[in-house]
Amino acid sequence: MLVEYQSQRVSLWYFRLALVLFILQVVMGLWLSINYAFTLPQDLVNVFPFSTARALHTNLLVAWMLLGFMGGTYYILPPECARDLFSEKLAYLQLALFVGAAVTAVVGFLFGWTQGKPLLEIPLPLDFVIVVAALIFIANVAMTIIKAEVRTALQWMLLGGVTFLALMYLFGMPFYQNLNTDYYYWWWVIHLWVEGAWEVVTASIVAYIIMRVTGVDRKVVEKWLYVETGLFLFTGIVGTGHHYYWIGAPDYWLWWGGIFSALEPLPIVLMVVDTWMHVRERKNPIVNPLTWYYIIGLAIYHLVGAGLWGFMHTLPPINYYTHGSQITVSHGHLAFFGAYALLNLTIFYFAMPRLKGINKYQDRLGKWGFWITTIGMFVLGLVFGIAGILQTYLERFLDIGYSTAHLTMMFWFRVAFGVGLVFLAGVIITVYHLFTIKPSSIPAPEPVVTPASNI
Amino acid sequence: MTGKTARLIFWVGTLTSAAIFLWQTYDFHMQTPKFTHTDKLTEQVVAGKKVWHKYNCNDCHTILGFGGYYAPDMTKAFYRLGENNIASIVQHPDVMYKNSFRKMPQLNVSETETRQLVAFLRWVGDIENRHWPPQDEKFVEAYKLRESQPQKLDKVHLVLQACGGCHTFENQGRNVGGDLTTIANRITYDRQTLINYMINPQSVRPGVAMPPQDVSPQTAGIIADFILSLKSTKEVSK
Repeated sequence: MLVEYQSQRVSLWYFRLALVLFILQVVMGLWLSINYAFTLPQDLVNVFPFSTARALHTNLLVAWMLLGFMGGTYYILPPECARDLFSEKLAYLQLALFVGAAVTAVVGFLFGWTQGKPLLEIPLPLDFVIVVAALIFIANVAMTIIKAEVRTALQWMLLGGVTFLALMYLFGMPFYQNLNTDYYYWWWVIHLWVEGAWEVVTASIVAYIIMRVTGVDRKVVEKWLYVETGLFLFTGIVGTGHHYYWIGAPDYWLWWGGIFSALEPLPIVLMVVDTWMHVRERKNPIVNPLTWYYIIGLAIYHLVGAGLWGFMHTLPPINYYTHGSQITVSHGHLAFFGAYALLNLTIFYFAMPRLKGINKYQDRLGKWGFWITTIGMFVLGLVFGIAGILQTYLERFLDIGYSTAHLTMMFWFRVAFGVGLVFLAGVIITVYHLFTIKPSSIPAPEPVVTPASNI
Repeated sequence: MTGKTARLIFWVGTLTSAAIFLWQTYDFHMQTPKFTHTDKLTEQVVAGKKVWHKYNCNDCHTILGFGGYYAPDMTKAFYRLGENNIASIVQHPDVMYKNSFRKMPQLNVSETETRQLVAFLRWVGDIENRHWPPQDEKFVEAYKLRESQPQKLDKVHLVLQACGGCHTFENQGRNVGGDLTTIANRITYDRQTLINYMINPQSVRPGVAMPPQDVSPQTAGIIADFILSLKSTKEVSK
C-alpha cells in the first residue's frame, strides 16, 4: 500500500497547481532579465512595466512554495496521525479560496491594483481571503492532530510551523505611516518566514521523508529535528536584525543582527551532516535514486545558497556596500531555489509517484531535469553575482554613477537570459516528468523497515 | 544526547531568541521618533507614502535598499535630484529618459500627488540610517553645504545637482540636453552671456528648449566658470 489513507489524495491538486505556477514564475523571470538586458520601447514599458512583472514573478514564487508546503503537510499528516484528515472538503475549499485569491491578484496586478509593497503586493481585500484560507488550513491540521490517537513530535512541529507562518503574514497587512516601521514589520513576514516558519515546516517534512525512505529510527530523526529547528529559530529570530542596519534603527542591531545571522549557517551544516548520516545508516534499500538525489541536493544547495551566500554579505561592513544590489539577487535566487524549490520538488518526487500507485518509477528524464535545473540555477547565481560585484564596485566603490554601472551589467543580463532559457528547459522537463511519471520495469527491492513499525 | 536534551535545546533556543527580539522591538519603537524625525511626519508625507504605494514604485526602485533593483535607490533621492527634477521625472518620464538605455513608465501621476511624493522623499532622506546608500552621500553633503556655505561648494556637485537633471557630465546625470563637456566645446559664449543664458535661455537663443533656471547670478557665475573650464584648447582638441 503506497497511499495509506485516501485523504492523502487531496495533496495531488496542490502539487499540480504548484508545478504550473513554477513554470509561470520562471517565464516571468526570463521577461525580467530581458528588461535588464535590452532597451525596451517606451510604449511597452507604459503598459507592462518591470514593476508589474516583478510582482508577478515574486508572488508566483510565494504561491507555489505555499501550495507545496500545504500539499506536503496534507500528504504526510494522515500517516503521521494514523487517521484520515479531519476534512477533505475543507482542504479543497481552502485550495479554491487560495487559488481564487491568487488569480484575482494576478489579473489585478496587470491593471495596477496593488498594495505597492514588494513581495506583499496583494491588496487588502484579497489578504482577508488568504487569511480565511490559512485559518481553514490550520484548523484542519489541528483537528486532525487532536483527533489522532498517536502523538508524535513531528505533528506538533508541523502545526507550530504553519501557525507561525500564518501569524507572521498578518504583520504585512496594515498601512504603516512611518516607512522604517513599515519595513521593520515587512521583515517579520519575509525574514521570519524564510529563516523561521518555513524552515520549521520544511525541516519537519524533510524529517518525515527521510524517516520513510531510509527507515532510520523515529527517535533519532526527531532528536535531530528538535536540535535543528531550535538552532534555526535561535539564530533566525534575532538574526532578523541583519535587515535593520540601514533603516534608521539603534546601533545594537549591527552587533545582534551581525552575530546571530552569521551563526545562521550552523543549523544548515547540521542538516547536511544528519542527512548524510541517515543516508549512510539507512536500513532500507534505495528504491528511487532520483528522490535521494533531491534529498541530498536539497541539503547541500540549502547550505550553499542560503548559508554560504547569505553569510558572505551579512556582516555590516560588507553589507554597507552590497545591500540592495544584484548581490542580493544572486543570494535570493540560490537560497530560494536551494532551500525551498528543491524541498518542494523533493516532496513531489516522494509523493506524486505514490499517489499514482507507483513504487519504483522511470527516472531517466527526471535526472536530466535535476541536473539541468540545479546546475543552471547555480550558473545563474554566479552571473547575478558578477553583475552584483560590478554594480557594487563601479557604483559604490569607484563612485562612477548608476548608468555606467548598469550599462556594464547589461551584458551579464544577456548571459543571464541565456542561462535562464536553459533553466526553463530543465524546469519543463522536470514538470513534464512529474506529470507523466511511469512505473519502472526494474523490480524494486523490498523495504526492511515497514512504515507501520516506525510510527 | 537524549531526546530530552534535544527538546530542551529547542525550547531554550527559541524562547531566548524570541525574548531578546521582543525587547529589541519595544526599544525600536521607543527610539524610532528620534531616528526618523516623526515630528516632521506630516499628513503630506503620509499622503506621499500612499502615492509611493499606489504606483508600485517600490518594485523597480529600492528604498532603504529594499524592493526592485531595476532603478536607482530612492532613500536619498531628494538630495540627489532635488524637488524640480523629481517632479519632471515623475510627470514626464518619456521625455526625461528619451535617450536612456532604461525607461520609466508614464504613470500619469497628478500634480498634487507629485508634491506629496516629493514631501515623502524629503522626509525619507532625513532618516538617520548611517549614511546609506554610500553613492548618494556626496549629494547629501553637497545639499547641506549649499544651504550653509555655498562658497565652499565643490563645483562638480553643484553642477550635477542643478544641471544633472537634464545634462550628463562624465557619465552621470540624465542625457536629455546633451553632455556638458561637449556643450562647453561647442559654445562661443563669454561668461556673462552664459550666465544670462542660464537664467533666461530665450533671451540669448530664442526658441531653445531649455527652460529658465531658478538660480542666483552668483551661483550661475560659479556654474559658468565651471563649464568654461571644460573647454579644451584648440591644440588639444585637434
